[in-house]
Amino acid sequence: MSELADDIVFAHRLRVAVRADEPLRRTALCKAVTEAGHMIVDEHDAADIVLADGSHPSNEVGNVVGLGIADDRLRGALPRDADARQIDAAIRAVAAGLIVRAPVARESGFGAMRESEGHALLTPRELEVLAALAEGMTNKAIARRLDISLHTVKFHVESLFRKLGARTRTEAVAKAAERRRNGIIML
Amino acid sequence: MSFSSDVLTQLSDAISARADAAKNVVVAVRVGEGRHLTGMAWQGGVVVVSEQVLPRKDEFELVAPGGAILAAKLAGRDASTNIAVLRTADSIAAPAFTATDARVGTLALAIGADGAGSASARLGMVNLVDGEWHSRRGGLIDRRIILDIALAHREEGGPVFDATGGCLGMSTFGPRGQVIVIPHATLTRVVPQLVKDGRVSRGWLGVALHAVAVPDALRESADQTGGMMVMSVVENGPAAQAGIVAGDIILSVDGISAHRFRKIARYFGGDSIGRKADVRLIRGGAIITVQTTIAERRAA
Repeated sequence: MSELADDIVFAHRLRVAVRADEPLRRTALCKAVTEAGHMIVDEHDAADIVLADGSHPSNEVGNVVGLGIADDRLRGALPRDADARQIDAAIRAVAAGLIVRAPVARESGFGAMRESEGHALLTPRELEVLAALAEGMTNKAIARRLDISLHTVKFHVESLFRKLGARTRTEAVAKAAERRRNGIIML
Repeated sequence: MSFSSDVLTQLSDAISARADAAKNVVVAVRVGEGRHLTGMAWQGGVVVVSEQVLPRKDEFELVAPGGAILAAKLAGRDASTNIAVLRTADSIAAPAFTATDARVGTLALAIGADGAGSASARLGMVNLVDGEWHSRRGGLIDRRIILDIALAHREEGGPVFDATGGCLGMSTFGPRGQVIVIPHATLTRVVPQLVKDGRVSRGWLGVALHAVAVPDALRESADQTGGMMVMSVVENGPAAQAGIVAGDIILSVDGISAHRFRKIARYFGGDSIGRKADVRLIRGGAIITVQTTIAERRAA
């Protein structure tokens, strides 16, 4: 399958510090950043841009791209479920001195319970494959872990892409995380 | 006000008069950094606010109509219906709201608190009206009312009136910046419960659930395509006591399909507390049934 980095020639490589509390989220964000051709650096290590997840707000607002952070002072503000291309575009734009906003008035809000449509639901096996994707595992490694054939792994990954409407592994992980956050029901 | 036969002037004057009268029904709830939210002065010295924007603390400062600063305590909050109730030491003169039914196309006047004891006003239209619905957290909202109106964040939680002066309910931001109304009927149902108990009682199993597809191999015997996977189990909760563990896929509760979640939400109303419930679930590739006793949901 084609990953984003294969398709695009990058003229400019930025030094990006990623702030996120959840390890899975951090992994997904770092992956999106490196796949877009940038370099992950330590925060104190002269980063060009800080990519901060909503779980990790801060007072610093300069060259920060926030994901799901409600702070008008941020130079870059994306919704928490922004995809890899949007993150890349925002990083580059803010580094170039522009201000980035997504055209969403308000992310959350008091909403209705959505009864899941049967066709798009993930199976327990697909959830296992997804967890492995989030750890950055290759198809081969996933096949070994779940003790299934490589062919079956590919089948599950294709099915995940279709159900989640994702084009890359990173996007699939991000969309599933978003779905999960909205779809957890306490009973 | 001079008499005018001009229809537009009459309309404008009528709206202005309504807005002026409504300044006695809104209270500003201070939330720090010079910001505030809007609350509705309700009967019995309580103030109704939008739960989703109310900071998680117990004591608040209010600006009453006219500008008096009052101390208030949280009396109760219910995220499932987006209603929270504050109680003041000094009572606020509360108007009697007359409930009215929303009709598509009627004018809607949304009132907010300006933070200094007066009101701000917004004019819009009832965009859509539909039947009852359930919120993400399972609360029953008596009508779906969507407004075509601009609203500032500080105005959320104020009353919405129609042209007759009847109260449609409380303004609230829905998803994607949509302005919706928590209907008057929902307020009159939930506010007294919050004042009395501090919460809305609801049945509870103590599980976090996420919708999943039933594996192909079990679809026929399960006789349904979707279920709810148990993501976590609250320690010592009813589900834990019945031996339900993370990874189980709940198919139904007392015969109600788990993925028909609105029906489940209804089934777990206050009257369900103490009832025995049969939970049909998939564990380790087999379908089994365990019996649980529905408990009362613990305070959040």
